[in-house]
Amino acid sequence: MVILENIGCAVIKLINSFADIIYFAWKILIRIFNRNTYTSAMRTVLIDQIYFTSVQILPIFLMVSIAFGSLLIGVLFLQLKQLGLTQYFGHVLMGLIVTEFSPFITVLLITLRSGSAINTEIAVMKVNKEMSALEAFRIDVINYLLVPRVINGVISIVLLSTLFSVVLLGSGILFSSLIFGMSIDAYSNVLLNSANFSDIIIALLKSIVFGFFIILIPVRFGLQASHELTSIPIVVSRGMVNVFAAILTIEVLSLIIKLF
Amino acid sequence: MRNFIKNHPQQAALVSIDIPLISNQSVLMNIALIKQYHENMPTAKVEPIVFNALQRLNLENIAYKRNPDLNNEERFFVMLLRAVMVRNALVIIDRPFKIIPHLKNIDYIFQALKNIEDLYVNCNIYDYEWMREKYGELSK
Repeated sequence: MVILENIGCAVIKLINSFADIIYFAWKILIRIFNRNTYTSAMRTVLIDQIYFTSVQILPIFLMVSIAFGSLLIGVLFLQLKQLGLTQYFGHVLMGLIVTEFSPFITVLLITLRSGSAINTEIAVMKVNKEMSALEAFRIDVINYLLVPRVINGVISIVLLSTLFSVVLLGSGILFSSLIFGMSIDAYSNVLLNSANFSDIIIALLKSIVFGFFIILIPVRFGLQASHELTSIPIVVSRGMVNVFAAILTIEVLSLIIKLF
Repeated sequence: MRNFIKNHPQQAALVSIDIPLISNQSVLMNIALIKQYHENMPTAKVEPIVFNALQRLNLENIAYKRNPDLNNEERFFVMLLRAVMVRNALVIIDRPFKIIPHLKNIDYIFQALKNIEDLYVNCNIYDYEWMREKYGELSK
């Protein structure tokens, strides 16, 4: 009986948490599509956030993309050759690497770097009463602090996952020439023939949804901090666990959409 | 004080230890934020206004510092300048000696208020009864 009760409590908690995130997402979405949100102050924060998330990370991101991308493409091409599936390498490259791996790896990197940073930043601001300071000056916290961060998440994930795909396709030129003895022209032709418009749209939509939620969830949990310093690690760990759960959920949902 | 804020919600501009500066923004952006947000003033237009206000208190050298790098006086004056950026500001200074505890009397703050008197409409200072002597003649 106690076990059942515990399971019920956990399920209710999970449903409440999910409903809370969806309601918060709706509130943010309404503000994103409201022209009045885009004040000079908000635009300044947005530019700063894009710089912190997309520009500052570039050297490390490029190094990781080149190292990981080359390794992945090299291993994949070798396997395809060994299995005699050379003719499918275009489909594998576009269907698996560009539309699945690029957004996924990008979202993991950005979550680890910026998601955790934003979660902590918001929690620290709450603890320091900086949110109250903004409210005292009649500055809307959602418009000024939260919306720019969420928009930045969407822009950064779309741009960085595109960059990741470009780097991967770039390493593909080198490895297709080394492993299959293929020219750049032939390689480009194979890629163009394998590119599926709907796959690219799904990948783009997935990046947008990823970008939206990997910032929204840390922000939401950051806001749940109390005025005690000890609440910071609690909300940060909760936020990050929920972000990873959201990443997996979005990944599974996109796969289901693709199947139909 | 609460009634005063309630009666003037658009003009009330608080300077209080409970209304801290935003720690991840520079002094410049903390002050500029008010005009950027309320009047949608572009950064290029608001920066000269903020620098002018900082110069009046000889604080232009701290424009790019952040809250943790400021001493108590600097922090108080930045809070004050942030408050006067509110349109037709009715400045409310809440327990100033909590922000600058080592000050012997209010004269230092009055001098600063005089230097920027054209930037606000009115200023009220609220403090504990037992701090009366620090306000000298003014408290009578």
